[in-house]
Parts: sequence; C-alpha cells; structure tokens
Amino acid sequence: MAKLTKEQIETLIKNRCYADDWNKIQVADGIKIDRLQDCVFKGEIKIGKLEGRITLEDGIERVCGIYRAKLNNVSIGDNCYIADVRGWISNADIDDGVVIENVGDIKCTEETTFGNGVPIEVLNEGGGRELKITKNTSAQIAYLNVLYRDKKNLIEKLDKIADKFAEAFKRKKVYIGKEARIINSLSLINVYVGEAAEISGAQHLEEGTIDSSKEAPSVVGNGVVAEKFIIQKGASVKEGAMVFSSLVGEGTKIGEQFSAKASVFFANSEGFHSESCSAFCGPYSVSHHRSTLLIAGLFSFYNAGSGTNQSNHMYKLGPIHQGILERGCKTGSFSYLLWPSKVGAFSVVIGKHYANFDTSDLPFSYITDEDGKSIITPAMNFFTVGTVRDGEKWPARDRRKNKNKLDLIIFDVLSPFTCQKMIRAVRILQELYDKTAKGEEYVKYNGINIKRVLLKTNKKYYQLILSKYFGDVLLKRMKKTNASKISEILKTDSKGVAGNNDWVDICGLLCARERVNKLIADIENEKINDFEKLQNELEKIYNSYEADEWNWVLQNYKEYTGKEIKDDIESLLASWKEASIKLYDMVLNDAQKEFVGNTRTGFGIDGNQDADFEAVRGKYETNKFVKQLLAKKEEVEKIYNDLKTKI
Amino acid sequence: MSDTFERVKKVTAELLRIDESKITENSRFVEDLGAESVQSIELVATFEEEFGIEMDENEALAVKTVGDAVRFIDNILKNKK
Repeated sequence: MAKLTKEQIETLIKNRCYADDWNKIQVADGIKIDRLQDCVFKGEIKIGKLEGRITLEDGIERVCGIYRAKLNNVSIGDNCYIADVRGWISNADIDDGVVIENVGDIKCTEETTFGNGVPIEVLNEGGGRELKITKNTSAQIAYLNVLYRDKKNLIEKLDKIADKFAEAFKRKKVYIGKEARIINSLSLINVYVGEAAEISGAQHLEEGTIDSSKEAPSVVGNGVVAEKFIIQKGASVKEGAMVFSSLVGEGTKIGEQFSAKASVFFANSEGFHSESCSAFCGPYSVSHHRSTLLIAGLFSFYNAGSGTNQSNHMYKLGPIHQGILERGCKTGSFSYLLWPSKVGAFSVVIGKHYANFDTSDLPFSYITDEDGKSIITPAMNFFTVGTVRDGEKWPARDRRKNKNKLDLIIFDVLSPFTCQKMIRAVRILQELYDKTAKGEEYVKYNGINIKRVLLKTNKKYYQLILSKYFGDVLLKRMKKTNASKISEILKTDSKGVAGNNDWVDICGLLCARERVNKLIADIENEKINDFEKLQNELEKIYNSYEADEWNWVLQNYKEYTGKEIKDDIESLLASWKEASIKLYDMVLNDAQKEFVGNTRTGFGIDGNQDADFEAVRGKYETNKFVKQLLAKKEEVEKIYNDLKTKI
Repeated sequence: MSDTFERVKKVTAELLRIDESKITENSRFVEDLGAESVQSIELVATFEEEFGIEMDENEALAVKTVGDAVRFIDNILKNKK
C-alpha cells in the first residue's frame, strides 16, 4: 500500500473523483487506477488491487473497480466490484472479492457488537428467561440458558461467556467478508457480513450478524427487514420476512413474510407466512402457513398446522405464561392451546384446548377435543405413517453444510428419553385402571381426560413399543461390538455413564442427566469459560450417546422386566420380533387408509375416479414407503431366525 | 340375530353415536359407520371389556365389518370354553 502519486490523483480527478484529502488515501502497488470512477472519498481510505472480472447470477460480467460510490473511512480488499452506492459506505472493512452494487447505505454508526450479546425475551414474553444471542449460540447453549433459570450461578456464567464474546467481537467498523455479495439493498447499518454471504434486495438490516462461510453461505433476500438479529451459517431469510431481536440458526429458512420477534430458530427450522413471538424453536421446528402463531413456547422437531394458535396472556399479570411441546409434536389446523401446558413427545394436538394440562408422561399421544373436553389417547401416534416418516426424514433433511455444526442433534424417535417415559406410562396407566370404577367414562390425569376403556389398550401399546426398542438397541449393540460371545456383547460400556440416569432432551441433544450436571458444574466453576470449550464438552456428550444408551438399556430392562438381559435374551428377541411385526402391520394399516374409501373423494372429476386417483397418488402396493416397510418387516423375520440359531 | 350381534351393535351404536337400526352385519366400521382411528381402537377395547376377551392387535386389524367382529368374538368365546 502506498499513498497516491500525482499521476494517480490526476487520473482520479479526470474520472470525476473527489477527495477531502488525497493524502488519506492508500492504494495497492500497481493498482489499475482508471477503475475508480465517479467516487467521493472521505476519511482514511485503503484500496487493494482492482483486477479481473466478476460474473454474477445475471450472467453479466463486471469489471472489478469502484464506480459511482461515496466512501468514508473504508478499506477495500483486492478485486472487489463496488458500484452505484446511492448513500454512503461508511466505516467499513471490505474483504477480497466482494461485490456491492446498487445499495443505499452500508454504515457503522458507532462501536457495536453487531447484535451479539443482545438479550431477548424468549419463551416467556413477560421476561425472566432472557437469552443473550450470539453467532456462537447453539440450541443446547440456549436451552441451558433459558430453561435452567433456577441455577443462578450457571446463568451468570453463561451470560458472562456471551458478554465476553460480544466484547471481543466489538468493532467500530462493519466487516464485509470475502466474496460476499450485497446487491440491490437499501440499508445495512451496523451489520457484520460473513464470507460468501448473499444479500440481495434487502430492505433494512440493522444491528446484526450474518454469519456465513463458503461451504455454508447465508442468504438475505428481497424485502427483508431485520433488527437486532443473528443469522447463523447456511441460513436463509427472504421474501419480506421481518426479524426483530431474534436468532436464525444454521440451515434455517425464514421467508414469505414470516414475522419473528424475540424468537430463536435452531437447525433446519422453517418459518413461512406465519408469526412468532418469544418462541423457542429448537431444531426442525416448522411453521409454513398463514394465521399460525407460535408464542411463548418451546418447540422442536415440530410441525404447525395452519391456524395453529396459543395464548400466553390471561389479562391478569400480563403475558407471563409459557408452554412446552416436547420433541416431535404436531399441532393440527386451527388447533389452540392455552398456556401454561406441556405436551408429551411425539404427540398430535387436534382441536381447541382450554384446559391447562401436562401430558409429558404420555408420549406418542393423540390429544383431541370432544365437545370442549380435552382427551388424550396415549401411544396412538406411534403407529402412524407420519411418525415413522418423520423419524426418517429429519436426518435426511439436514441442510447444514458447515463442518463444525453448532446444534448437536440425536434424531432417534425411540431413545432412553422417550422410553423412560413409556416405562413410567405403563405403571401410570395400570394404576389409573386399577383405581377407576368401571362405570366411569373418563379418568383425569394431570389436567386431561383419558377414556377409561382404553387404559389397558394404551398400556399394551407402550409395552409393545418398549419391546421393540429393547430389541432394536440389542441388535445395534451386537452389530457395533461385533463380538462372538454374548457375554462380551452384554457387558456394560465403560465409556458410558451409569444406566440408572434419567435422560433429558437438551433441545435436540438427548443425554443422561449426569452428563448435563457435570457440564453445568464445569460452567459454574469456570472450567468452561468460553464458547469453544463449551461446544467441545457438548460434542463429547453427543459422542457418548450410544455408550450411555446401552448402559441405560441394560439397567432399565432389568428394572422393567425383573430380569437381566443375559438371562432373558431369547424372550427379549421373541418379544422384539412380535412387537416389530405388529407395529409395522399397524403402520401399514394406517398407510392403507390413504388409498381407500373417502380418500378418493374429488378424484375423477368427470368419471374414472380410480384411474385418476392412481395416476396422481399411485397404488398402495407400489408406494415407496409401503414397500420399504414391508421389506423391514421381512427383515425382522430373517434377523430373528438368524439370531435364534446363533444364540 | 345372535346375542353377540346384538351386543356388538349396541356397543357400536353407543360409541359411534349412531342409530342401531343403521347397523347391519355387512356394515363396514370405517367406510359405512364412520369410525375414525381412535374410535376403531376404542371399539376393540370396548368389545374386549363387553365380552371379557383379549383381541390380538393384528387380528383386530383384519376385522372390517360388524359381521367380522361377531364371528371373531364368537370364535374367541368358543375357544375359551
């Protein structure tokens, strides 16, 4: 870099450029000075090489240079193309290969953390669960910070980590990362733009960070308005979305006029058309439709039907109520939940519910309303095509391309987390059956009604599911250890924690409570005092899942059945086979309903109903999902017969 | 009509909230009588309680009509004796 020569200044003046002070401008050696045209320079300016050309998506080649731009206190890397800056680029560091075209203002107005460390009132709109969002905040970190508020020392230390990060991130100039594109956008004020980010048609962005990388570029598109925001790698925010005081996590898509306030959306979530307010959306939370509101709730692996709604405000002390939907829940069209309520994992909520209930002991349930009464049918949602497909689709739809993923996700539908609940549920349902008179139509449990006549059936279903799970895990273990002796396979895993642990779902990361307790202790005593160490420890927990699961199964099979697996292996496998086949048959029966009877209504508008239906929907027998399930069912028999001879 | 059929009809009518006169041996629980998923399971559970029997899940899936249910229940009762 060197100051301008007399000849360079003359060329610049000839090219209609102006500077308050030419001495404050430094340029790269050998710069093609004629590629600076119609520019105004104020303050300290540094400009790198201007060589080569850049072709954008419209197929038009741009010659690297700076044209029709007003720059104040700006450094520009090599081979950038900057043109038609109608306002100012002020207080900015622009890296190599950046394209800025047809923009209003790109400014830094004061020393700022670019949205990092900004506290947002997530989950409880009335406050009390503030989360300081940063570009390194993962689903797990956010969960600990928001949900464990009774652990004041933990919260203080997590806030300290966020503050420390934000302080280190503070700058007096905005940064535009390598090969980023900012095109046709009106204003970026105090916005950090990461490598390869694409900002096209954005309306107004203020106080935010767009984290991005070449392997996982982020996109901010047409009409977007965002203030006090964090956008993590590989996310996209487009189509008139409005994002205020919110975090958009890795691989998340927000668009089609979605409006987010004081909300977080973690890995692979989607928000279109609808609205969120103080919503804590863990991984794979999806809301696609108009008239849907997600407010003051915790969601994950979730799908919102159109018109889904909740209330958190009872017009007494303000909007202070909150709700929890454990992983895997769905809410049907125009369903309504009155907070506070807690819905158990993998449950479907249909209808409107004005009672406050807690169904977390009864996962995989249908929650319906009959004449204003909230009713739960436990276990019903396990034998549905939807649940099976969900379990398969989530891992297949992980959009995140970055190597070091922030959110750590265990996708298992059946796990110690869900199965510990089902073991409890078996006992609960039996107790309810034993103590309820035959004449009673309903029995109340934690604020919701269960049909008495179904108690035994629902219990039986949970038992079937548990039989399948224990067998599945045993088979997984056999495959992993590849030992020839059963005694070797059935040993406790020395890398795992004790099997008598409770399990928790830390927003996508299923783990034994002992692991979380240790993590919390390490944070509280500042053995973990920054995001890197925190993320490393979370990854260790993630990597210990299988060992911990195995130990849990060994311990809990014994408690559940009264027998050790080593003494009961034949019975375990026989139960597994029977349960698996029954469960597959029930799911296949559910799938078959999609092809018969009223499902054909509206097809064959002018005749040939069946032919039209099959042309559009295909046949049950050739359906891909059905064929896969039938193959799995066959495999069960084969595996069982193989193992029976070996054992 | 057999006692089993009458009892099955009564249970079905009460649960699905329909007129007993609309129920015949050939009535299909889902297509004709409008039983939804949860109601189908409730029907099975209520038959179990009504007749003091246990119905295997897979066998219950094969029961499509009122007549199927009657025959199925009669068979279990016969084997119980």
